Amino acid sequence: MILEAGDLTVRYPSTPRAALDGVSCRVAASELVAVAGPNGSGKTTLVRALSGLVQPEQGTVRVQGRALADWGRAELARVLGVVPQREEIAFPLRVEEAVMLGRYARLGPLAAPGAADRAAVRSALERCDAGTLALRSIDALSGGEWQRVRLARALAQEPAVLVLDEPTASLDVRHEMELLELIRRLVDQGLAGLVITHELNLAARYADRILLLSEGRVVAEGAPRDVLVESTLSRVFEWPVAVTTWCDGSPQVVALRPGERYP
Amino acid sequence: MSLIPATTELLFAIGAGPVVVGRTTWCDYPAAAAAVPNLGDGIAPNVEAVLASHPDLVILYNSAQNAAIAARLRALGIAALRLNTDSLGDVERVGRLLGRLTGHVRAADSMAAVFDTALAAATAPAPTRRPKVLLLVWEQPPMTIGRGSFLSELVARAGGTNLFEDVTSSAGTVSIEAVASRDPDLILTTTAGPVGFAERPEWRTVRAVREKRFLPVSGSEFNRPSPRAPAAIRELTRLLRSNG
Amino acid sequence: MRAAFVVLPVAVGLCLLVGLSAGTVPLTPVEVWHGLSRSGTSASVIVRDLRAPRVLLAFFVGGSLAVCGAALQAMIRNPLAEPYLLGLSGGAGLGAVIAIASRATGPWAVPVAAFLGALAAVALVYRLSLVAGRRLDPRVLLLSGVVVGSFAGALMSAIMVLSPAAGIRNAFLWLLGGFGSASWQALGVFLAYAVVPLVVIGLSARSLDLLALGEEPAHHLGADVHRTRRLVYLCTALLTAASVATCGIIGFVGLVVPHAVRTFARPLHRSLLPLVFVVGGSFLVLSDVVSRTVVRPLELPVGVITALVGVPLFAVLLRRTLA
Repeated sequence: MILEAGDLTVRYPSTPRAALDGVSCRVAASELVAVAGPNGSGKTTLVRALSGLVQPEQGTVRVQGRALADWGRAELARVLGVVPQREEIAFPLRVEEAVMLGRYARLGPLAAPGAADRAAVRSALERCDAGTLALRSIDALSGGEWQRVRLARALAQEPAVLVLDEPTASLDVRHEMELLELIRRLVDQGLAGLVITHELNLAARYADRILLLSEGRVVAEGAPRDVLVESTLSRVFEWPVAVTTWCDGSPQVVALRPGERYP
Repeated sequence: MSLIPATTELLFAIGAGPVVVGRTTWCDYPAAAAAVPNLGDGIAPNVEAVLASHPDLVILYNSAQNAAIAARLRALGIAALRLNTDSLGDVERVGRLLGRLTGHVRAADSMAAVFDTALAAATAPAPTRRPKVLLLVWEQPPMTIGRGSFLSELVARAGGTNLFEDVTSSAGTVSIEAVASRDPDLILTTTAGPVGFAERPEWRTVRAVREKRFLPVSGSEFNRPSPRAPAAIRELTRLLRSNG
Repeated sequence: MRAAFVVLPVAVGLCLLVGLSAGTVPLTPVEVWHGLSRSGTSASVIVRDLRAPRVLLAFFVGGSLAVCGAALQAMIRNPLAEPYLLGLSGGAGLGAVIAIASRATGPWAVPVAAFLGALAAVALVYRLSLVAGRRLDPRVLLLSGVVVGSFAGALMSAIMVLSPAAGIRNAFLWLLGGFGSASWQALGVFLAYAVVPLVVIGLSARSLDLLALGEEPAHHLGADVHRTRRLVYLCTALLTAASVATCGIIGFVGLVVPHAVRTFARPLHRSLLPLVFVVGGSFLVLSDVVSRTVVRPLELPVGVITALVGVPLFAVLLRRTLA
């Protein structure tokens, strides 16, 4: 078990309801877990708690068996790669410089990047189909390109766990599929992956397990076909849905228009 | 009402002391002036306080700020006069003017005559070599005053020459390098007491500092033109001769 | 960029030479060399004891202020950040004015008081910017700095108006900035204060690169955000307070120089910070030359020159970056 959180409760100051209430979550090597839920259900808070950005009121987070508090910052960054949802740019860098920032956890304050670092950056860019962007300035990228560059930066960290918050948000179909194929491949090669996503159908086809959150609590957890059930989903998302099955056996969710029925 | 220290002094000198109904904090001479009500430092006079003393005439220093105040006073029906009191020549000119305004014409004329004679007597004959005097009015940053100022005039009449004779503005910052390269014979300071900066290594590049040739000069007769100017000049001449 | 490594030392050398040659007594480079190598002549006194420390002090102060500006701009993620936004100038002015108003004696009274005043203002701004008890929030930092600086400035003006102490208004002139009283001693004291903070900021170069991305990404990439912010804040405060105590308030160097350097250099701090130091130092040396030659033999406050040059320069840079 590379990443596990037990009974997490996180409360933001001056909000009555807990953002996370007794949430437990586990990701093992070669396992892809998708976290889904309506807006405000605590998905991004979970990412923050898992990476140590936010201190939980209760509960623990363990990475590779050790409590989060026992990890040094740079040490943690060598194992845990997190790509947050949004990022603003203050000073324009070139793409290859931006991805090199992912290697900083492995360089001290003084060492210059070496051949191994440059190779890691190149390979990360290639895997994210951003190799041709290497010399572009990051403020001249489209939303999707910037997303891929950030993922490349996380890959350059050579982590054991990847946590991605809505990685396909600004991507078109091709890049969306390519990204998920990439993540699936990395997971199959040994990485542990945790992906926050709104795309229930893609989660159903790519993830090994789905964690469904609602109002800070875990509503369902398990294989996609056990979690993506009509009654559960309609209740949690407050909208009628129908669930069909795709040829690979995965459940596919279709939201119903008012008055529609299925079958 | 006199809101300039120089005119307060002149008014008392011409015997018009009893008609002075207001003064500034800096009007410290003669001693009788202390009995006159103090209306502040005179730089931004409080119009209400001025009115409360019911003056017939208010004398202000000729600055841009006081122009507005003078206009306000006149609008309120009080005569206001702005005067320049910057150089030796003003003593006689302003003295006679004040004499006419207060009705002490004869006293003013006699004061002017006495002043002229005393001034001529006190002015040193042109020496063979005029010692160069640095007029250091402030240390941090080093500041000096130039040719047009009153103290510079006094030094010239006492037989010395202002190190920064070529500076026409009244005050300015200089560098120690400028002082060192011009090599003053004496340094005149306007504060009494020991000279704090004499030990600092950057000042010791100046010969006069190394040789401790300081002229501490304090007293309001050095700051403003007044009938005491001839005495001030004699004092300066004495200091220059004994240190020169 | 390789070219910069050749061009810059030459440019710096030229600036230093100009600084040593110009002044109330203009010297040719040959005379400067003689002044440095021989002793006893009047030229050597001027060059060695007065101009050399002055030029070096201007260089190190300019470099330090520029580095502080660059570090703060990364830390606060705001290109308009500069060292004096932290409330330092108001605090230093207040300290200086209190020292003169209370007739404190001794040549070090005013600089030490300015130093302590600057640090007190910084501590107050820091305290005000602590959110949730431990986080230094950059947005609040800027606002707190402006507020504290203005308050201190108001107090300073009040004291200046009310105090009967002679020369209190001259405190203003000292604050406007100048190297007229530079000495080897002042240089030594400044370097003693400056070395450690400069080294610490230099070692934080990588962290600054990460911090420039924002708090979350920086944290995820391994930066200790809170510790770096506190450290950088403390170091810039010390450096700026030391420079105020040495030579008054000299603005615009910390604001404009980092921007100018970013137009031709990469914004990564390992190479940016040394470049900014060198360019800032040269800029201040040249500004000092202008301040002591333009109304010879009087001097203009250096802060006036840096503002007169800095503002149009900043306008040009702004247009270029926005275009």
